Amino acid sequence: MSHPILPLAERRRLREKQIKKHQLANLLTHWFNVAMWLMLLPTGIAIISSPRLALSPAIMQEMFRNLFGGTANLIRFHYSVGLFWIFVLAFNVLIGFRKYFIPFSRERLLLTRDDIDWLKIKPMQMLGLMKDKPLPPQDAYNAGQKLYMYAVILGTLGIMVSGVVMTFHTVFPPALIQWAQPVHWVSVGAVVAGLIIHVYMGAVFPEEKEAFFSMFSGKVSAWYARAHHEKWYWEKVREELEWEEKVTVEVEAEARAHEAAAPGAD
Amino acid sequence: MTEFSRRDFLKLSGVTMGAVMLNQFLPPPVAEAARRAGQIAADGDGYLTTMCEMCVWRCGVRAKVSKGRVVKLEGNPDHPHSLGKLCARGQSGIMTTYDPDRVLYPLIRVGQRGEGKFRRASWEEALDLVAGKMQEIKDKYGPEAMVFSSTHNLSQVQFENLLSGYGSPNYGTQRSLCFNSMVTAFLLTYGIEEPARNYDNVKYILLVGRNLTEAISTSETTALMDAVARGAKLVYLDPRFTKTAAKATEWIPIRPGTDSAFLLAMIHVIVTERIGDCDFVQQHVLGCEDLPTAMAEYTPEWAETKTGVPADTIRRIAREFAAAKRFALAHPGWRTSNFINSFQTERAIATLNAIVGNVFEPNGCLIASSPEAGGVPLGKPPQPPYPRTAAQRLDGVPWKYPLVPLKLGVFQEMRDAILTGQPYQARGWFIARQNPVQSLPDRARTLEAMGKLDFIVAIDVILNDTAWFADVVLPEASYLERYDPLAVVGGKIFIRQPVIEPQGEGRSALWIYKQLGQRLGLGDYFQYADEEDYLRQQLAPLGLDLEQLKQKGYVEPPPKADGGETKDYVFNTPTGKIEVYSDTLAKAGFSGWPTWEEPPAPAPGEFYLLTGKVAQHTQFATQNNQYLHKVQDDPRLWMNVDKAKGMGLSDGDLVEVASSVGKVNVRLLATQAIRSDCVYMTPGFGHVSKGLNTAYGVGASSSVLHLTFTDPISGGQALSQTCVTVKKA
Amino acid sequence: MATKKRYGFVIDVSRCIDCRACLVACSVENQVGMKYTRIWVRDLGVKGDYPHLERTFVPYNCMHCDNPPCTQVCVSGATYKDADTGLVLVDQEACIGCGYCVDACPYSARYLDRERGVVDKCTGCIQRLQVNQQPACVATCVGRARMFGDLNDPNSEASLALKNADTVQRLDYELPDGTHTGPNVYFINGEVMDPAVLPREPKYTTAETAWRRLLIPAVVAGIGLSFLGQATFFTKQLLEGEKEFEE
Repeated sequence: MSHPILPLAERRRLREKQIKKHQLANLLTHWFNVAMWLMLLPTGIAIISSPRLALSPAIMQEMFRNLFGGTANLIRFHYSVGLFWIFVLAFNVLIGFRKYFIPFSRERLLLTRDDIDWLKIKPMQMLGLMKDKPLPPQDAYNAGQKLYMYAVILGTLGIMVSGVVMTFHTVFPPALIQWAQPVHWVSVGAVVAGLIIHVYMGAVFPEEKEAFFSMFSGKVSAWYARAHHEKWYWEKVREELEWEEKVTVEVEAEARAHEAAAPGAD
Repeated sequence: MTEFSRRDFLKLSGVTMGAVMLNQFLPPPVAEAARRAGQIAADGDGYLTTMCEMCVWRCGVRAKVSKGRVVKLEGNPDHPHSLGKLCARGQSGIMTTYDPDRVLYPLIRVGQRGEGKFRRASWEEALDLVAGKMQEIKDKYGPEAMVFSSTHNLSQVQFENLLSGYGSPNYGTQRSLCFNSMVTAFLLTYGIEEPARNYDNVKYILLVGRNLTEAISTSETTALMDAVARGAKLVYLDPRFTKTAAKATEWIPIRPGTDSAFLLAMIHVIVTERIGDCDFVQQHVLGCEDLPTAMAEYTPEWAETKTGVPADTIRRIAREFAAAKRFALAHPGWRTSNFINSFQTERAIATLNAIVGNVFEPNGCLIASSPEAGGVPLGKPPQPPYPRTAAQRLDGVPWKYPLVPLKLGVFQEMRDAILTGQPYQARGWFIARQNPVQSLPDRARTLEAMGKLDFIVAIDVILNDTAWFADVVLPEASYLERYDPLAVVGGKIFIRQPVIEPQGEGRSALWIYKQLGQRLGLGDYFQYADEEDYLRQQLAPLGLDLEQLKQKGYVEPPPKADGGETKDYVFNTPTGKIEVYSDTLAKAGFSGWPTWEEPPAPAPGEFYLLTGKVAQHTQFATQNNQYLHKVQDDPRLWMNVDKAKGMGLSDGDLVEVASSVGKVNVRLLATQAIRSDCVYMTPGFGHVSKGLNTAYGVGASSSVLHLTFTDPISGGQALSQTCVTVKKA
Repeated sequence: MATKKRYGFVIDVSRCIDCRACLVACSVENQVGMKYTRIWVRDLGVKGDYPHLERTFVPYNCMHCDNPPCTQVCVSGATYKDADTGLVLVDQEACIGCGYCVDACPYSARYLDRERGVVDKCTGCIQRLQVNQQPACVATCVGRARMFGDLNDPNSEASLALKNADTVQRLDYELPDGTHTGPNVYFINGEVMDPAVLPREPKYTTAETAWRRLLIPAVVAGIGLSFLGQATFFTKQLLEGEKEFEE
């Protein structure tokens, strides 16, 4: 990654300066998802017991069935948690539709020309090629993260719709239930494939260390923002300057008004 | 106080709802009593013993009860008729009780007859109306203007009390449509109504159209299958390859109506070759010396021309039958081939059993001592003698049918007398648990006869086809909801008792008859406080306890003091012998010997219309049972496949079947399993009552097609003597 | 699969009269919906040339196979072979009613109850077995054609009937993988090898086939690639230290 070399003092300032990246609501939703996935993924895998598909080890099935007191209870737990997950997520989206969901979608789903370029160069660089080619500046989320979000959103929809079909199997035709199972499975597969990268990048990859902590604090350093999400960084800076401008104007106006209100007091 | 508000609430919530609530909130007496007796657990689950009523074989039943509902029926292993098993009909019994089409409260007609428009009435109003109408008819036209009819059931004794106390001689039963020929023949030959069969040692069984695996009598069917599995030979005569034929060692597709020729030829072979049980015959059979002469003309060669069965086959079977002497069985059946000559067929069966000694005691295959009475002297509530009736019976017994026993009657003749008004006009008809619209031959004529009447009242659990045309319908409690008088089987006394509360306002027949009797001033014929009191009075002379009976389902009466083991072969006939030659018959102007009567032959292009039974239904009564509906075959008209091909018909075609009195449309079953000179129609279908939502519109009724043919000796209706044409509909 | 007990049916074909008491008894006992049945009597039809006719009735239900193909396809684990009794059972609380097993059963002995959204089949009336009662169909069999018992116990009624039988037939079926279903219903004293009762090839639904053949490889590949990529970086990170990434 090629960044212009900055003076040390400037670098320190940037590292110390914190910029707010995540809203609290988004943070909570993220960790809620993590919790749900931790409960749903293992139980889901343990449920799939068709020897013909051979998708989960017998010992795991046995363990989980014993743990939950039988197949039916295991399934009941899985769909109860699943329904809760659907409910909370749907609730969050509906309640925060304008405040959070629209900005969130814009940040995470709109692919710009820069994103496309990034997608052309980044994978090559990860394989050690095109090292000298500059990466186009990225928004709050880079194109890789945006792509992952597509997988997550489509996958989540697939999981939820097929899950609802299976949960309420008395009202849906058998053909739908027959297809819901592979759809559920393949949707989970798609998310999990992305999740492996997501977790690695977020929690292990040193360059993205700040991203990990930002999922608790909601903030990243200006340095990190400038390096990884340049576009967004300058946008933030612009916003900050605008704000400062505005505040300055307001303060000056206030001072002037104050003077005008008490002309003869002094 | 709470009791009151609950009741008020119940009134508001409608009948069905009310019944459900009642079961939930008020401790139901049936369950409560059973719980106290320790028969069902505190949580409401357990078994209660009672008796089946899905047919007249009356198996013992153990009813599984759970939370005030009966959930499963099992055969009672202690009952000789069930031995732990129930047939399809018995198993389906809970659906007869929980049939959504049940009549749950008294109904009074508001529309035209047959329109099916009724209004709900209270018992008080309905009973007052019925008693009022009956009294009016009695006052205006005399008691004989009211006809009564009912089919074999345990409460029949009180029905007979009602009509006899009322003073009517006119009583119709199903008997003449069923077993008149058999009962009359055996009364005249052995002096008993229906000999019991014993399969314990049987080696050779001859079934003359007795389709035991489809017309099931549970324990007897099981015994037959046991005997066949043991290696007994089963020879089966029937124009149709029935399921019994499929199990038989030998099926003989005999020409319809010629069974007696086959049997007479067998007798001929046995007596001319002297291969019967000669000792037995000489001692106990009247007419044995002259039998060879009387049978001289009935050679197997002669029989071949009548029956279509090769003479050699007949000869061989006769010899095999005789060789199994004492351990052979020619089954009396109910009505064999259902022709006018069925009486002669039954006489021949009685003779055949006698001459090879099958009736020897105690181990013979045909038991000539009546099994039902069993020598158990049950008590009965006291009652005054019946009033004398001067009027002639409308059914012609005995003035037109001198040999028909009074209790059998000639039902179809009674119907015709209602229609013609001869010798006098009937005005009212009281029908209990019977469906003459379906069961009597020539439905059009039955409906026409009903049109002649001022008043018709029917008692049933569902709106059967006859109730559909009635003016008042009284809802009976189903057999799982009521008491009936006790029954004696195999020397033991068995009980039918309620295992659940009645649905809606259904009441027992004992209660209904008593209520009517009281309103008609006949209270003295109904001297019992309630059903249990009736049963106690039955048990009183034996010193037996009702509670014990209820608990166990049966009691064994104490052994009789005189023991009576000296079984001397004395038959209840005028001579005390088996009357192969009957003087009674001869004096009445009929042949004293079993004899050949030529059946009518179908005209070219016509077929005999055969009737029969299926194992999933009882007569005309069970087609609305959803469980039986579920497992039944589609009702069809069977026709020989080659014959059908010749007529351009194929399997599944809708065909029009027509006789001289009616026509119906039905689907064709083209099969090898029937002779080409006859067709067979699945019985019991073609219901006209729209109150039967499951059965209505399914199949066709053979009653529409049947002509009325009455045997002058036994009064039996010859159902298979009707000929029909068949063409594509 | 070897089980402690091996409950099975022995059917004396010569004794079945097709009265269907068993069908009604089963439906009532198990509250089977009016459109369905758990057990059957298969009619092999009227055969032969008039008047030498034959007709055989074959009582029929789940074979409670040693190696049941139905349990192989059940995704939720609702269908299982009970280790104590050897009966093949459906845990209807766990069943989601997809019907994979219905298609897979070579004996067509299962059905999908659309009203309840679950698969149903013969259970050998295990609820009766637990209180020492014979299955409803066996208890009421008018012709004594149906027998039931532990085939591992040489003295059970079923084992004895099997031992004394004139002929014994079993509708065994070789599955595509070379194993046998090993049915635990034995037909004695009669010929039942007829197209009306012979097992059919197990069918697998398109969904199940697509899942197994297409989607499993695809997802395995996807996850595999993703894992591989992540592993490559991790290895690189370990080998080269974190310095490289620091500016």
